[in-house]
Amino acid sequence: MKKLSLYILTVILVVLTALSGCGKNEKTAQGGSAKEVDQTITANLGGEPYTLDPAFASDTTSYWVIDHLYEGLYSYDKNGKVVKGTASKVDVSEDGKTYTFTIRDDAKWSNGDAVTANDFEYSWKRVLNPKTAAYDPSSFYYIKGAEEYNTGKGSVDDVAIKAEDEKTLVVQLDTPIKFFPTVLQGHGFLPVNQQVVEADEKWAAEAEGIVSNGAYVVSAWKHNDEITLDKNKEHWNTKNIGLDSIKFKMIADATTEYQMFKSKELDLVKSIPSEAIDQEKSSDEYISSPSFSVYTYSFNVNEKPFTNKKIRQAFAYAIDRDAITKNVSKGGEKAAYGYVAYGAEAPSGKDFRDEVSDYYSFDADKAKKLLKEGLKEEGWSTLPEVTLKYNSEANHKKIAEALQEMFKENLGVETVLENQEWKTYIDSFKQKNFQIARMGWVGDFLDPYPVLNLYSTKSSSNFTNWSNTKYDKLLSDSLVEQDEAKRYELLHQAEELLMTEMPIIPIYFSSQNALVSKKVEGIRFDALTSPDLRFAKVTE
Amino acid sequence: MYVIKRLITMVVTLWIIMTLTFVIMNSIPGDPFASDAKSLPEEIVKNMRAKYNLDEPLPVQYVLYMKDLLHFDFGPSIQSKTRDVNTLIAEGFLPSAILGLQAMVVAIILGLALGIIAALNHNRGLDYLSMIVAIVGISVPSFILAPLLIKYGAVEAGILPVASWGTWQHTILPTIALAVGPLAIIARFVRTSMLEVLSQNYMKTAEAKGLSTVYIVCKHGIRNAIIPVISFIGPLFASIITGTFVVEKIFAIPGIGKYFVDSIFNRDYPVILGTTIFYSTILVLTLFLIDLCYRFVDPRIKMTSGSE
Repeated sequence: MKKLSLYILTVILVVLTALSGCGKNEKTAQGGSAKEVDQTITANLGGEPYTLDPAFASDTTSYWVIDHLYEGLYSYDKNGKVVKGTASKVDVSEDGKTYTFTIRDDAKWSNGDAVTANDFEYSWKRVLNPKTAAYDPSSFYYIKGAEEYNTGKGSVDDVAIKAEDEKTLVVQLDTPIKFFPTVLQGHGFLPVNQQVVEADEKWAAEAEGIVSNGAYVVSAWKHNDEITLDKNKEHWNTKNIGLDSIKFKMIADATTEYQMFKSKELDLVKSIPSEAIDQEKSSDEYISSPSFSVYTYSFNVNEKPFTNKKIRQAFAYAIDRDAITKNVSKGGEKAAYGYVAYGAEAPSGKDFRDEVSDYYSFDADKAKKLLKEGLKEEGWSTLPEVTLKYNSEANHKKIAEALQEMFKENLGVETVLENQEWKTYIDSFKQKNFQIARMGWVGDFLDPYPVLNLYSTKSSSNFTNWSNTKYDKLLSDSLVEQDEAKRYELLHQAEELLMTEMPIIPIYFSSQNALVSKKVEGIRFDALTSPDLRFAKVTE
Repeated sequence: MYVIKRLITMVVTLWIIMTLTFVIMNSIPGDPFASDAKSLPEEIVKNMRAKYNLDEPLPVQYVLYMKDLLHFDFGPSIQSKTRDVNTLIAEGFLPSAILGLQAMVVAIILGLALGIIAALNHNRGLDYLSMIVAIVGISVPSFILAPLLIKYGAVEAGILPVASWGTWQHTILPTIALAVGPLAIIARFVRTSMLEVLSQNYMKTAEAKGLSTVYIVCKHGIRNAIIPVISFIGPLFASIITGTFVVEKIFAIPGIGKYFVDSIFNRDYPVILGTTIFYSTILVLTLFLIDLCYRFVDPRIKMTSGSE
């Protein structure tokens, strides 16, 4: 019997040694290969892009790839300024309602076809076609006839998007919005090649089928594993594009991604796990940049006790936001003392957020005083029971618990916590089935208008039951205001009103915490989109 | 006759599973098209729902789905938009199956070895050592083991890639992470049943005949001890080759494990159904094969369909 066990042990040992021996061979192979400086970087996409057809994309993963594949009429330059992209000339009529775009003569598709005004007309009408069931046709609704066609009330012929000739595209707006160029940066407005799309409905499902007009083309797509983009030689600006090749890995686990950066298998990690932030903060590979998004708690103003404005304000004053960002969320967030996040540049050159001072502060005494006044106004002797709702993912629980503690400490109010899984949560949120509930927003484009507009009476995303005619008027006035400075003034007034009425309490503005290998420079971090790699360079 | 009857039962089982899944999944709240609380205008959502037949009443959806299913078409993935469920499963199954098979082989071989060593050295040092290994294996969950493997096997030692897919080196760490749990369970099973077998009279007879220990254990011991293990390996095999959420996620394996979980979070109905049916099919098939296996391992077990 002893012999047998010895025998088996030996076998196990041999197998184990063989396994580790194999590993060692690999190391020498890696170390032996000479490292050449080629213009290739490996970044982590985080997962499989659901689609690379810009009409259907709705998630940041897909957007990140799409941003490098296609180019709209406008584009971003190295510094993040909106500049002309596929359009070489833009004429805006006096009343701001008619835009005439001239397409560059050298704008080409990756298959060599010229990009024409027709391509844009086709692509945009494709998004608007109700049968297409595209994701974001609503950002086209500023265009005349677009909403009617998309909702089945009008004909495609009445949509004011017209290719006058090969190179001239004329668009007419219903409302002369000043920020139309920013709206045009939306992914739905990116062009697709008509012949390619019509030839195969599933053209964007595999690398071979994708024809793009931007800085890069898809050269290989191993689903759920890796996607490789190569420089698009046909692109008009190709000589200014830095990297020859971008490899996107699809690693969903944040810790694995971080470890792969540490073992130099990745050159760029766009969001590191919050546990690693403290460790990396002092590293020169660490880059923190603002994100155009806000973390809020929403009140249902039809549910007691939040029917009362002073009680809503009392809750807002009772929160120590700096303590939350420093000790709880710990992701480099900024405490929010206003609603619109950092990222929208005002005509003054300053950030919209920095143009005004804080709308409220952390002040326990004031909070208690407001609560007392509120109770008196309503004639209540005690506060009705308050339930705080949040979704169970990520660190929302920790934040909810911190808030519960702060309400208890600073207001003397006991709250009950309740959580649900995300899809169930948004379902009940949309049914306005809450008193106070967590919600975060990311702006659709870099302008205060779309985020402020979420709380207008008409907005389909306003679940607070809060409705204010003055607020609605300020926003609709801002839409037609042709003077940028005045438009921003109107938006500031709207924000001030929102922050006084407080149907929501902003908690913090998120940030992006990235790690970039020292050998790469020129990656542009944007508050709204994923890092722009088009002008990056590998230096060593 | 027995085989035909079994096959019919299998189809019926699958149909019941599919129907139950259909009913349950449609009863959970949530909407595949709502990824956040930003509400899309009603007409847009209506257009999207129409594209996937979700605007039809449930019984109609059910019939439409059954129709496609009869052609082995699982339909489109709502999340993925351009790719269908058949492709997702076909592509993802290969990496999952490779890892699963490797892990099963490792788990069975080492599990058997550990179990036998333990049984042969009953209540002695090697027994305790084997069982400590087994208990650690059972108690350490894969979401702890996997990052540890990455930290020490890849980052610190620098000999293996951290994660991703491609070469056989990429499969080593995930295989270990997958194998440890089943290995430990198999070892414990084998030990128990081996101990029982060792005390049987035929073993004593064999020993009395002067046969060598190795021969007795291999010829009579393993064969009898393995029967309870086989019944346990069946379901384990089915679940391990269809991928695992945690290990595949941590090692960034392009397998199908994630679809089982993500599809539910995303309310991606065709993927929920597709993966459930796929997994159930593999499971019932494995169970069927296991039943056939019994007969070869132990001819005393008869394939009968009656109540003999």
